[in-house]
Amino acid sequence: MWLDNLFTVGIDVGSNSIKSVAMEFDTNGKTPKLLATDLNKIRKRDAKQVIRQSFELVLRQAKLSEGDIAYIASTGEGDMVDFRRGHFYSMTAHSRGALFLNPDARAVLDVGALHAKAFTVDERSKVLGYRMTSQCASGSGQFLENISRYLGIPLEDVGNLSLQATTPEMVSGICAVLAETDVINMVSRGISAADILKGIHLSMGRRLINLLRALNAEGQVILTGGLAANNGFVAALQELADQEKMEIRFCIHELSAYAGAVGAAIWGAFRHVKLRDQVA
Amino acid sequence: MNNTNSTVTQIIETCERLYNDLDFSYVKNWKQTHAGKAVGFMPIYVPREIVHAAGMLPVGLMGAGDLLEIIKGDAYFQSYICQIPRSTIEMAISNRLDCFDGMLFPAICDVIRNLSGMWKLMFPEKYARYMDFPQNFRPEVGGEYYHQELIILLKDMATLSGAKVTQDQLRQSVRLYNENRAVIRELYDLRSADPHLVPTYELYLIMRASNILEVSEHTAMVRDYLGAVRSEKRPERDNIRVVLSGVFCEQPPLALIRALENSGCFIVEDDWVLGARYLLKAVATEGDPLENLAAAYLKDTVKTASRYEEDGAKGSYLIDLVEKTRAEGVIFAAPSFCDPALLERPMQQEALKRADIPYTSFKYSESSGQFQVIKEQTGTFADSIKLWGSV
Repeated sequence: MWLDNLFTVGIDVGSNSIKSVAMEFDTNGKTPKLLATDLNKIRKRDAKQVIRQSFELVLRQAKLSEGDIAYIASTGEGDMVDFRRGHFYSMTAHSRGALFLNPDARAVLDVGALHAKAFTVDERSKVLGYRMTSQCASGSGQFLENISRYLGIPLEDVGNLSLQATTPEMVSGICAVLAETDVINMVSRGISAADILKGIHLSMGRRLINLLRALNAEGQVILTGGLAANNGFVAALQELADQEKMEIRFCIHELSAYAGAVGAAIWGAFRHVKLRDQVA
Repeated sequence: MNNTNSTVTQIIETCERLYNDLDFSYVKNWKQTHAGKAVGFMPIYVPREIVHAAGMLPVGLMGAGDLLEIIKGDAYFQSYICQIPRSTIEMAISNRLDCFDGMLFPAICDVIRNLSGMWKLMFPEKYARYMDFPQNFRPEVGGEYYHQELIILLKDMATLSGAKVTQDQLRQSVRLYNENRAVIRELYDLRSADPHLVPTYELYLIMRASNILEVSEHTAMVRDYLGAVRSEKRPERDNIRVVLSGVFCEQPPLALIRALENSGCFIVEDDWVLGARYLLKAVATEGDPLENLAAAYLKDTVKTASRYEEDGAKGSYLIDLVEKTRAEGVIFAAPSFCDPALLERPMQQEALKRADIPYTSFKYSESSGQFQVIKEQTGTFADSIKLWGSV
């Protein structure tokens, strides 16, 4: 850790959880290095307190104090971060974070608790085009979390279990309420949990594949947001893309959930240097 | 109402109470205390000095925002037009505007012209006047016409109030409004210099209070706010500086103003609540006050879509504002079906393109409740300027 180096923190405020990262850069804001990460579920607590806790945790992990931080950047519901210096819109932050995690990706699929977005990017991570799901919750992680709770299956087991499916049962891909009714019917008909979950993954995935097709996405598509941790969902997406003969390859990264926070931290360093140089 | 030495929070709470009070308690109290009358007016170019000089309270009306569900008002206008005339009618027929003894409808668009006609039919016992403004700015043509209009208005106001209005009273009113315009300019200058210190949400509420409060009281409030806010410690933000254009009549909901700020924009200039600041310089206080008011209107007035500009001139005023405030872009916000704002927009956009000034555009209505899409749009606009220097 060089004294001249600069440090930033990125905070991604989602509807379900807070993701924070601390990063280090050289004095020109280049050569980004991830120092610390934290993912803190809100769980009906005061979101502002959770944000503060998460921020302090990454500072401790990175052995930094608040005064060492050149730029605190928020993304997502950033107005909750009172102590931010700047805010970046979620697509801007996710695209930069995604390319930090996988520089070869040229499209990003961000699937969070409430919304899903697909966007294509250039090699600088500038967003070239985007498509979003409408407000219906059936395209989101919150829906999947609800279903796992109804089925009594821990969320972290959902992905592996769905990979064991033999005859997946499709659910409504348009309305969460209808989809939940479908699931209740399936349970009463004795359909296995694996087949139900795979069917849900495919139904959700079909909507997202349509977003990517509308963008003419090609090559590597990196998943970001909470759903990136669900390997069954990723497999279902790839299956659908292959069926549609689309030239795309889905990829994930162990830090995919932090892409927004990482992107915010990197753009924060960029802005810090730009503002510093303007003053000089 | 005494704001002396008030904190920022207290001042803003007072403004919020005034903003939320669709029963106009302040106006009723003022009338009782002063045994006077109140005259409501719609945007933009109303010479409030004349109402004031006649001993009456001029009150700016800007619709009901998102505070009132329009039920009966919808029966009076087409459902697709802007909200402000319908919410104004709704307030009137639900007796909320009974405290007004007269109404002034300045020429701004056909809808407001129709509203003035309806008023005369619906409330024949109340004074109502449709005010036309010169679109020819030569003193011997438009100036003379407007001077005559002001003479008629002065006679009407004197008749309505039952008081004789002297030239000295008029000059004194002009002085008070000059003072008010000066402190408002100071407020705008401070926001432009230190936008993190003066959130637009607060500035807007203070401007809305200018619609209601007696002018000296509003001047004192702005002075108190300026004193209090300068000693506030507020975090600096890395936001882009934008000019907001098109909001001169129907007003954006408060939540929309907050959404714009939270999406990474410092609004450093705007065109809302222009009734209190449409005159850019102090009006002369020597000589004939009505001639002075007419001359000021011709020469030193903010440009809006309701004011004629010669071919090719549209947009130059906006560009001047961008340069003066060192803004990095323009946000065009216009109420749905606002003909003046939406017809002027393409001309302004062309001018901005030629000047290489980035902009983004959207529409709203005063009763809108969801701003996610607008927030995404303006957030992306802010990011583009911050990171790529263009859109």
